[in-house]
Amino acid sequence: MNDIKTAIEVCGVHHGFGAKGSNLHVKALLETSLSVAKGELLSLIGPSGCGKSTLLNIMGGLVSPTGGEVRVDGKTINGPMPQSIAFVFQENALFPWSTILENIDVGMIFQGVSKSERLERAHQSLKAVGLTDFANHYPGQLSGGMRQRAALARALSLETDIILMDEPFGALDEQTRMILGEDLSILLARTGKTIIFVTHSLGEAVFLSDRVAVFSARPGTIKHVIEVQEPHPRTQAFVTSDKFARLRNELYGLLHDEIRKTLSADFRLPSAAADGGRANVAAHS
Amino acid sequence: MSPSMRRWSITFARLAVILSLFVAWEIAARYFVDPMFLSPPSKVIGSLGKLFARPGLTNALLLLLGELLISFVCSILIGLPIAVAISASKVTRRNMLPIVLLLYGTPQITILPIVMLLAGVGTASKITFGITHGVFPVILTVVASLRDLKDIHKQSAYSMGANSWQRFRYVLLPHMLPALLTSLRLAMIASLLGVLLAELYSSSSGVGFFTRQFTDTFDSTSLFGLVLVTAAIAIFFNELLHGLQSRLTAYRR
Amino acid sequence: MAQAQSPTSFGGTIAQLSFVGVLVGLWYAASHVWHVPAILLPEPTGVFMRVVSLLRNASFLSPLSITMHEVGVAFAFSTIAGIFVSFVVTRSQWLIDVFEPLFTSINAIPAILFFPLFALLFGLDVGSKIALGITISFFPIVLNTIAGFQNVDPVHMKCARSMGASNWHMFRYVLFPSAVPILLSGLRMGLTLAFLSVLGGETIASFSGLGHEIAESSQAMDSELMYAWIIIVICVSMSLNFILTVLDDRSGPAT
Repeated sequence: MNDIKTAIEVCGVHHGFGAKGSNLHVKALLETSLSVAKGELLSLIGPSGCGKSTLLNIMGGLVSPTGGEVRVDGKTINGPMPQSIAFVFQENALFPWSTILENIDVGMIFQGVSKSERLERAHQSLKAVGLTDFANHYPGQLSGGMRQRAALARALSLETDIILMDEPFGALDEQTRMILGEDLSILLARTGKTIIFVTHSLGEAVFLSDRVAVFSARPGTIKHVIEVQEPHPRTQAFVTSDKFARLRNELYGLLHDEIRKTLSADFRLPSAAADGGRANVAAHS
Repeated sequence: MSPSMRRWSITFARLAVILSLFVAWEIAARYFVDPMFLSPPSKVIGSLGKLFARPGLTNALLLLLGELLISFVCSILIGLPIAVAISASKVTRRNMLPIVLLLYGTPQITILPIVMLLAGVGTASKITFGITHGVFPVILTVVASLRDLKDIHKQSAYSMGANSWQRFRYVLLPHMLPALLTSLRLAMIASLLGVLLAELYSSSSGVGFFTRQFTDTFDSTSLFGLVLVTAAIAIFFNELLHGLQSRLTAYRR
Repeated sequence: MAQAQSPTSFGGTIAQLSFVGVLVGLWYAASHVWHVPAILLPEPTGVFMRVVSLLRNASFLSPLSITMHEVGVAFAFSTIAGIFVSFVVTRSQWLIDVFEPLFTSINAIPAILFFPLFALLFGLDVGSKIALGITISFFPIVLNTIAGFQNVDPVHMKCARSMGASNWHMFRYVLFPSAVPILLSGLRMGLTLAFLSVLGGETIASFSGLGHEIAESSQAMDSELMYAWIIIVICVSMSLNFILTVLDDRSGPAT
C-alpha cells in the first residue's frame, strides 16, 4: 500500500542568478511552496520572466535552487531524476541529426534499457501519439505539431510517473495547439500521469488543467491557484461552455495587472541590460 | 569569479602561453638543436638592430609593405565591382559565381611561374600575384553577404519610396558593411600571402633575396629575426582591421 | 566566405565549361592569330601532346605520389592534433577565451613566411613541406572544430541531461553530432590548404613533387613542359575538390 498522495512537493523554494551580493545578482523566483497530487494536471502561467520556467526546471532537478527543496515521492531531489520525471521542451529539443525513432531511442539508451525493450516501448509510444508511419523521418521533415507529438512520445517512452512540459506548444499556431491539446487531454486521462506544464495561453491552461497556478510579476511567486473542476478527457463542448469562459476571464483578470507591472518595469531596463550584455560579449569574444 | 577578475585572468593566461612558447623555443635552441638551424629568441631579438643595419634590408621591407598595400587596395577596387555585378541578379550570380569559384579553386601557386614570365621578376609580378590572392576573399565574402540581404528590407525601402541610390546608401551598404570589413581583413592576409610567395620564389631581390641568403649561410639568427618582423607586420595589420571592424559593427555585437 | 561556395548546379557547370572553352579559344588565338612568343605562351596542341605523353609514360606518378604523401601526412597530423586540441580547449569557456583569439591571430600570419625556417630545420626534402602543410592546415581545423563544439543548442544539452545522459552519452549523442557539420567544413578547408601549401613549398624550393616539376621546367625555359605540368596539377586539384564536394553532399542528413 502506498499512501503517499503527493507526487511533487515544493517547499519554500527560491532562486537567483549570478553571485549573491554582487550587483549582477538577479532574483528569479521568490519563495514558493506548492504540492502537486498524483495524477493531477497542473499548469503554471504568468508574465514573461516571472520564474515559472525556472520553477519547472527546479522541479525537474535541472537547476538546483538557491534555497528550499523539492521532494518527489517523499525524497529530496538533487539532480535530474530520469526514472521518475520526463521533460517535454519547446519545439527544437529533438535532435535534428537523428530520426524520430532514434530520438525516442536515445532517452532509453541513457537509461540503459535493453535493445528489444527499447524498440517495443518506442513503437508503443509512437502509436500512442499517432506517428507510427513517421518513425524513420527526420525532425526537419515533419511539421511543428508532429515534432511536438514526437517529443511527447519520447517522454512517454521513458515510462515515468511525472511529465514536466515547458511551453510544449509554444511555437505552434493556435489551431494546431487546440488539436494537440485535445489529444493530450485524451492521452492523459488514459495514463493517469502527473503533468506540470508551463504555458502562455489562457485557453490552454483552462482546457488542460485540474489546477492553474498564476504567477506574479518578476521576480515572481505563485499568487493564486484556480481549480478547474471538469472531468478528463475534455472536448470541444467544454471550450464553448460558460464555465470555460468564466474561468478564462478570471485568469485574464488576475494576469492583466501583473503583465502591466512587467511592461512598466521593462522601461527601466535598457541601461542595466545594455551593460550586462556588453560585459557578457567581452567575456565571450 | 567576477567579470573583471575573469578578464585579467584571461589576459594573464594568454601572455603566459606566449611567454612559455618563447621559453620553450629558447630552451630548445640552447640545449637541443644546432644553433646553425635554430637560434634562441634572446639572441634573435638582441640582434634585431644589427639586422636592420644591413644595407638594403630596410628598403626590402619597405618594398614589401608597398607591394602589400598596392595589391590590397587593387584587390578591393577590382573585387568590389565584380561582387556587386555578380549579385546584380539571380541569373548573373548563377552564371558568374561558378566561374569565380573555379578560378578560386585552382591552386594559384601553379601559375606563379607564368606570372613571372609575363610580368618579369620585379615588383609588378609580386603585386599581380598579391592581387590574384586578395581579390577572391573580397568577391566571395561580399557576394555571400549580398545574397543574405532580406527581401523585407529591400521591400520596406521600396515602400518608403527610396530611389536606387538611396536603396544602396541606406539598405545595401549598411547591410554589407560587416562583410565588407571582414573581406578587408581577409584580403590583407591573402595579398600578403601572394606577395610573400612571389618574393620567396624569385629571390633575386627584396625580402626573398635576404631569406635565401640567410638560409644559404645558415644565419638562423638573422632569418628568425626577419621572419619575426614580417610576422609582426602581418599581426599588426590584422589587428588594425579587426579593431576597425569591431568598432564599426559594434551595434551587431 | 564559405557560404558562397554552394554546390555547383548544372547551369553552373555549363558556365564553368564555357569559360574554360573561351579560355582555350583565346589561348589558341593568341598563338595562331596574334603570334605571342612560344616562350611566354606555347601553342596549345603542343602542350596537350606533352600532357598526354606525361600521362602515357606514367612519369607524373612519382611526383604526384610524393606530393600526395606530403599532403596526407600533414593533413592527418593536423586533423588528429586539431580535434584533440579543440576538444581540450572547449572543456571550459575560460580556456576558449584564452586560446581562441591566440589561434585567430596566429592564423593571420601567412605561414609561408616560416617556410625558409622549415627549409633550414628540416631540409629541402619532404620534411619541410610536411611541416609547412601542418602549420597552415592546423589552425583552420582547430578554429572550426572549436566553433563546432560550441555549436551545441543548449536545449539539446538540457534535454539530454533531463533524460539522465552520462558524460560519454553527452559527447556521443549530443556534442559530437552537433559539431559534425562545422567540423567537416574545417577538415575540408584544412585538406585544401595542406595541398596548396605543400605545392607552394615545392615550387619555392625542393627536389621533388608536382610543384618542383613546374618550377624546374620554368627555370629550364621549357614553357611547353611547364604548361603541361600546370594543367596536370590543376586537374589533380579539381579532382580533390570534386571528391570533397561529393563527400560533403553525402555526409549528414538535414541538419
